Amino acid sequence: MHRPTSKNWSRLLLVAGLLLLWVAGTAQAKVTGISGTFFDFTAKTDHISTGEGNSLLIYGYSIAGSRAQYPGPTLIVNQGDTITIRLTNNLPVSTSIIFPGHKAVASGGTAGILTQEAAPGGVVTYSFVADQPGTYLYQSGTNPALQMNMGLVGAIIVRPTGFDPAAPTAYGDASTAYDYEVLFLQTDMDSTYNELVEFGRSAEINLNDFHATYWFLNGRNGPDTLLPDNVSWLPTQPYNCLPRIHPGDKILIRWVGASRDAHPLHTHGNNFRLIARDGRLLSSGPGNGADLAVSDYTQTVNPGETYEGIFTWTGAAMDWDMYGHTAADNITLTDLVNNETGAAGPDGFDDNTYEYVADHEKPMPVTLPGIQELTFSPFYSGSPYLGGGAFLPPGEGGFNQHGGYYYMWHSHNEKELTNNNIFPGGMLTFLIVEPPGVAIQ
Amino acid sequence: MSCKRFLTVLPLIALLLLVGVGSSQAVYRQQCPPDTDGVDTDGDGIVDNDNICVQIGGGDGYAVMGDGRHLYTFGFSAFGGPYTPDDVVNGTAPDPADAGNMWSDATNPGLVLGANFPAPTMHFKQGQKVFLTLHNVGMLIRPDLFDPHTVHYHGFPNVAAIFDGLPDSAVSINMGSSMTYFYNLVEPGTYMYHCHVEATEHMQMGMLGNFYVDPIQDNGSPITVNGKPYSKFAYNDINGATGYDVMMPLQIHSFDPVFHTEDETVQPLSFSTMRDVYPMFNGRGYPDTVNELTPTANPGDIDLILNKEGNFAQGMPALIKATAGDRVLLRVTSLSTTEHFTVISPSIPMKVVGNGAQIMRTNGDPTGTDLFYMTNSIRLGGGEATDVILDTTGVAPGTYFVYSRNLEQLSNNQEDFGGMMTEIIIQ
Ligand SMILES: [Ca+2]
Ligand SMILES: [Ca+2]
Ligand SMILES: [Ca+2]
Ligand SMILES: [Ca+2]
Ligand SMILES: [Cu+2]
Ligand SMILES: [Cu+2]
Repeated sequence: MHRPTSKNWSRLLLVAGLLLLWVAGTAQAKVTGISGTFFDFTAKTDHISTGEGNSLLIYGYSIAGSRAQYPGPTLIVNQGDTITIRLTNNLPVSTSIIFPGHKAVASGGTAGILTQEAAPGGVVTYSFVADQPGTYLYQSGTNPALQMNMGLVGAIIVRPTGFDPAAPTAYGDASTAYDYEVLFLQTDMDSTYNELVEFGRSAEINLNDFHATYWFLNGRNGPDTLLPDNVSWLPTQPYNCLPRIHPGDKILIRWVGASRDAHPLHTHGNNFRLIARDGRLLSSGPGNGADLAVSDYTQTVNPGETYEGIFTWTGAAMDWDMYGHTAADNITLTDLVNNETGAAGPDGFDDNTYEYVADHEKPMPVTLPGIQELTFSPFYSGSPYLGGGAFLPPGEGGFNQHGGYYYMWHSHNEKELTNNNIFPGGMLTFLIVEPPGVAIQ
Repeated sequence: MSCKRFLTVLPLIALLLLVGVGSSQAVYRQQCPPDTDGVDTDGDGIVDNDNICVQIGGGDGYAVMGDGRHLYTFGFSAFGGPYTPDDVVNGTAPDPADAGNMWSDATNPGLVLGANFPAPTMHFKQGQKVFLTLHNVGMLIRPDLFDPHTVHYHGFPNVAAIFDGLPDSAVSINMGSSMTYFYNLVEPGTYMYHCHVEATEHMQMGMLGNFYVDPIQDNGSPITVNGKPYSKFAYNDINGATGYDVMMPLQIHSFDPVFHTEDETVQPLSFSTMRDVYPMFNGRGYPDTVNELTPTANPGDIDLILNKEGNFAQGMPALIKATAGDRVLLRVTSLSTTEHFTVISPSIPMKVVGNGAQIMRTNGDPTGTDLFYMTNSIRLGGGEATDVILDTTGVAPGTYFVYSRNLEQLSNNQEDFGGMMTEIIIQ
């Protein structure tokens, strides 16, 4: 292409009004959603905006008279609770909800192929016991090849019995402890379906001929994934997808395959431990924790499946001091305890900042080329050091307030990094590793 | 001269007039400091040989598909000259004369129109410290482009953003310039590398290659497994479980000729309709995968390229040869930009021993519980890696196949019985 990438980003980001990214608190320590045991859903039509500025008709779920949303509300519930969802159908077609992984019972409505359905104007009620912790999917059970494409999908998070928000775990086991969590609900969309529905030409849709033109994380395409939750100009797409951590923090990734195709999600920066699949810990037996967890750098998220992984990043063993410390800074590190377990004895990391002790004060082994020789990202602080900042050419950089390290987390089937033929976009976001001391809500 | 040929040559002539071919005007520089830390980090017993310097060029070229069609590519070239299959970029030791100079002149001029497909294989050893210099030599066929490039070392653990090669989070290297990336290789395993600039385009166009790091356990005394000693291992495994006799990196790629032609002829690019019809292993479609001929010409030979002779840009056969009883390690990676592929070995079972550059044990820990499993098929999307060992004990001499189970991918576009397939010859 003709433009340097940073210019492409700048153009998209300015269109998106991304200056809000400056505001701390664009990402949550925990997944945004609604809690309780009774949820009153209304299925109705609305529109979403895509990353390059298109508008598409969707079918979505709304709560308490709000706009429909894409994806549906993330339901955050407690293990053992009986969950009831009442679905009122304001769509022009029959619809229903199924809950893969849960034994749901339906009442009311009319018999459909997979479950009881609500006719237009009708009501149907589903209930199930959330008997296992983990990450789950809910979706339309009526003509799902069309209705999931139209937006009738969502995630369910079941907290384990005894869940402590101050010391969270995914499955109640210490091997599943984490500091932050993020949802990666992945969807894809063939926008010709949406257009034909909008123009009353649904009969022309060939559901066997699916060619995705849009790819989403939590209902947004790149670069909108980076925007905060609930921005006013995306009223039907409330959820962001911009995880942030500090060095040494553990972040639980909850992948949900609400898509039609499989998508390989690559975590720049480091490997993760894959601890669970379809709401079941990868464990050889009770009490053994996630002893069947493997380490990987790309997770293929298959349609209909969910996965959980725990990612951490320390910057260990770079062989240079990522903070740029020199002897003149006179900074003494302290390593008396194991940062992870709290046990006495060193673990190689500073007890407060997680700085890797062996690399302290080691200079970076190479020098960077002059600024005329490089093209800069708007997310580059101007410094190779974590927490650093430096002079950048006019108009470059500016979106990295704290000097964090940005790692792209994205589909590695790269054609999915586009929005209806416009690059960049699609199934991409960043993990931000912020310097120690930067507040993450 | 056909019309199309002429169109191709026009911009070339324009560029010849501007800069002259082969004698790049830009002064390319590298950083290659000597190892003076007094510590033997790669475990070979020598303290001052752990720094390794590698130079690659980023530019354009052509690749020949299995049906003979030439596709315009972007790609990396081995800066030192022709690309041969084995250990192409083992790198060079630093020149002591450069001690104290951060930058030194590059040892070779940029290879114009010298893109290799796949990119030169990177093969290093755990404990080495790699100074990888990328020279952006520009696009000869698309002089209207001023694209920067990067190297993304895919899977590098705990990387700093500046060396991640992600233009969207740090920097990319402009035409005519060079940048040296630094990697401290503390983790062995199967990786891959690619340019990350405008990734959908630059990767579909071919800026990708194999990358693997031998474990430090290879330095130790042999480990005997089932009465047979092994001295080469996929991972540090303590007990020899990943020992092998023969190794082949097998990288999945696939090309969409429509997209490549659009790029060559300065057309708008079709991302959403991207459809790959040239599935390949190591940059070739069967039967080219089993052609052991190594390139005789310099990949940057302008006459050969313009006459479209030979597969000078594709020096990486995928033919696997073993003696019955050998353990064969396949380092399978995918850098397809479009879809998942299932690779099967129908006759010789696969033992999965690694995944994402980590041993297949609890948390990737060498001391973890074995999570190895036997299978005949593995499925990879872009950016995924799986290490499998084929144990040929008791396998009768003959020719066996490894290929994509997605049968439409066993073709070179319209030509059937090609595509993503290679052979294992058991002697
Ligand atoms: Ca994987
Ligand atoms: Ca410590
Ligand atoms: Ca040394
Ligand atoms: Ca050494
Ligand atoms: Cu590139
Ligand atoms: Cu990659």
